[in-house]
This record gives sequence, C-alpha cells and structure tokens, in this order.
Amino acid sequence: MGPHGDGDMEKVESESHRPISTVVFVIAMQAEAQPLVNKFGLSETSDSPLGKGLPWVLYQGLHKDLRIYVVCPGKDAALGIDSVGTVPASLITFASIQALQPDILINAGTCGAFKVKGANIGDVFLVSDVVFHDRRIPIPMFDLYGVGLRQAFSTPNLLKELNLKIGRLSTGDSLDMSTQDESLIISNDATLKDMEGAAVAYVAELLKVPVIFLKAVTDLIDGDKPAAEEFLQNLAMVTSALEETATKVINFIHGKTLSDL
Amino acid sequence: MAAHADDRISNASMENLTRQVEKRPISTIVFIVAMQKEAQPLIERLRLVKDVNSPFPKEVAWVLFKGIYKELNINIVCPGKDSALGVDSVCTVPASLVTYASIQALQPDLIINAGTAGGFKAKGASICDVYIVSSSAFHDRRIPVPVLDLYGVGMRKAFPTPNLIKELNLKVGRLSTGDSMDMSPHDKESITANDATVKDMEGAAVAYVADIFKVPTILIKGVTDIVDGNRPTSEEFLENLAAVTAKLDESITKVIDFISGKCLSDL
Repeated sequence: MGPHGDGDMEKVESESHRPISTVVFVIAMQAEAQPLVNKFGLSETSDSPLGKGLPWVLYQGLHKDLRIYVVCPGKDAALGIDSVGTVPASLITFASIQALQPDILINAGTCGAFKVKGANIGDVFLVSDVVFHDRRIPIPMFDLYGVGLRQAFSTPNLLKELNLKIGRLSTGDSLDMSTQDESLIISNDATLKDMEGAAVAYVAELLKVPVIFLKAVTDLIDGDKPAAEEFLQNLAMVTSALEETATKVINFIHGKTLSDL
Repeated sequence: MAAHADDRISNASMENLTRQVEKRPISTIVFIVAMQKEAQPLIERLRLVKDVNSPFPKEVAWVLFKGIYKELNINIVCPGKDSALGVDSVCTVPASLVTYASIQALQPDLIINAGTAGGFKAKGASICDVYIVSSSAFHDRRIPVPVLDLYGVGMRKAFPTPNLIKELNLKVGRLSTGDSMDMSPHDKESITANDATVKDMEGAAVAYVADIFKVPTILIKGVTDIVDGNRPTSEEFLENLAAVTAKLDESITKVIDFISGKCLSDL
C-alpha cells in the first residue's frame, strides 16, 4: 500500500466509523447474480452510470437504508456468453468503484474446492486471502507479484455470527486445471479455486476499498467428476445457497461500521 | 443489457460512422506499454513529458507521458510499479485497466500496444525482430465448455494495416498472450493451436478492451527471446531487453512517421 498523507489516514479512520451505506457485489455470471437480484428486488439501472454502449450490467436497490448494487460483466458481444475471467472482473470492479464509491465490495460467486480441505458441494465459504495460480514469472520479486497474495478485509464477527467456513482462494483464467496449476494451487495451500477473485482483490487494493469474498462450491477439484460437468450440474442448487448466505451477510452488515464486521 | 432505443445504432449508421471516422486524419494515439523501460527511448526521442495532472485516479501508479509530434497527439501509458513489490505491473489485468482508463480519458483514434515478446524460431522469429501482429489470442484461459472455449481464447484481428506493413517491410505474425513468462505444456498446446509466432503477457487483453469500445488497435512486438530455443526465457529476456527496446523505438518511430497525416483507412 502506498504512503498515506495524514489527511488520507484520517479519512480512512473516519470512514470506518460511519455505518456502511453502499455495498457493491461483483458477480461474474448472470446465473450467479439472479437469485440475489430477485430476492432484494433490484432493478437494472437505466442511466448507465458505468458508461454507455457497454456489455456490463448494473442492478441497484435500497434495502432498509443500505444501497445495494450488483455489477456483472454481462454477455460477450460476439459470443453471447457471460464474460467470465480476470480481465472483465477487474474492469467492472474498477468502473464501479469510480462510479458508485462503495464502502465495501463483495465478490460473490461459484468455485471449485478441495474435499481434502473439508469442502462439500453447496458450502459457502468466506475467503481469508487470495492468490493467482496462473501468473508464473520466474524472476525475483516478479514471482511474488505474479502470485499477488492479498488479504480479504478482516470480518471476524461476520465469520462467527454466520458460522461460515473460511479458506484461501486461488484464481486462474481456466476452468480446468493443468498439472502446473494444480501443483501451484496445492503449494499455495488454497482450499478454493475460481476465475475472478484475485483480480477483484487487486483492483480493490489499488483503489483502497475493503473487499470480502463469498464463494459457493459447485465442484470438488479432488473428486472424480470433471469440473465442467459438476459445475453445470450443481449451478442452480449452489447459486440458491449463495443467495441465502449473501442475504444473511447483507442483513449482518446493515447498520454496522466496517470495524464492526 | 437493457435495450434503450437511443443507445441502439442501426447497422447502416454504424457503418456510416465508421467510414467517416476512418476518413479523418488520425489525431490522437495512445500507446499501451507494460514496462516503462520498453518505452523510455521513445519517450526521450519524441520529447514526451510526464503528465503531472494525471487523468487517472490519484491512488494508482499509472503514468502518462504526452506530447505533440508531427501534428499527432502522442500518449504513452504505463501501468507503473506495483506499490508493494516495486516491479512493473505486467500481465493482462493492469494492461486492461490502463487501456480502459486511457480510452475514457484520452479518446484515442488509435491504440498501439507496443512491447517485448518471445518468438518461435520454428515460425521464423529471431531475436530483435519487430513484428506487426495480425491477430491476438489468449493461451491460458482454457474453458472446456462449448462457446466459452472460444471466449477464453478470445481471438481478435488487429486493425488491418497493409500499407504500413508493406512500406516499412515489417514482419507479420499471430500473437498469443498469457499471464506467465514461462510456458507449461498446456500453454504450448494452446499457443500451437493459436498458430502464434510471438508470445507476450498483455496484447490480447489490450485488444479485448479496445474492442469493447471499438477503438482500432495495432500491436507491435520486439522479440527478446526464442521460446522454442534452448535458453530459459527470463535469462534471454533480461539479456536482450536493452537492445530490443532500442530496435523497438526505431521501428515505432517509423510507424508514427508513417501514420502522421494519414487516416485509418490509409494504413
């Protein structure tokens, strides 16, 4: 983190003593977002605060006095499928921080997990910290940069109150897992594997916005079935579990300051 | 995305608009360069100045060098040093962010992603070659689900520049992008499927962002290492960085000289 002037430090401190008022969910797939959008009756914004002519989708609404946004990268213009992966996720995180000035970001979505680390399909994990497993740069210092280890914003009370499992998340742009990826994920001691988290963390840190991650397990990496198959099979059930947890998180956050979390 | 009548431009008017844009002389160019070292000779040669009133958020380390050269507004944007580790912010995520922010702030007519790359000798590449990229694709975004697989690869043609290529007698090849400097067997398979001559860590991401905003994009890559050679990439890269950067600077200057006074459709 870059040096703060005294003014900046005061700002950060005073902000953590105001109740949280704006939450932005960063969600890669429409299917992952829809249950939450429906639950909170969020509506698609009509005035394009993120910019015109973009595939990005922004939902907004008010829950008690908490302003909730859900931002998705939307469908790829050429191919019509959800714009998953680190690049679109980083763009929408950046654009929504600029436009919406959230007090906290929540990257919510599905993931793979290791059953050997205690994960089951349908579990919703809070993330302790996050790394990349597919940015291998074998030059001193660049190697650490590639891995990009970052802590999630610490939320011990949320973790305890909601009785969530917690684990390290490893991010890569592939749905599958090469032997190279696998050995790095294991040596990084990750429990969870996704395709956006570490990129969202990068942008959040860049712009100094606290970020937490809710990841729901659709497939077991060290199980028998291929990831893509399990993922598609379990998507509906798991996104429903994700919405339930996200709802509890929103209700927990309401009325609290960042330091209460 | 919600359908708004005023946001939708008919195909015919879009074509018209594109034709009009392509017939105006190019006025603003944004270079996206991952490492400031790769841009330094060019910055000095064109006497570009660091913009102290950066159009970017105050929290980021992104740097903008700008100036006027042969009636062109030249901007060079670099993602800068990582605040924790002090190394250049290489890879696809920072490159896409600076591309996005530069398009918003500077509204370029043309984006040029310039930098170093590995080359495949089996495809005719040698150290110090400078390539104009015909198309770019990712090799490390493997999503084995129909249509998502194509999305992962994200193959995009660069803005066609047949006259530039002929006039400057430049080599042309496909670019494959991935976030790793090394190359795993999986990467190699995808790079081969992409039929790549050069391999880098940003190009396809810059192309992706530019495509969202329909900004014409050219990619120019100087070869620092031979991927299908005997030596480790990082070693060769560090050894040849200075020489290749100088060569890149020469070629880019010729490209800018060629572009000056021309429209997109002249390229």
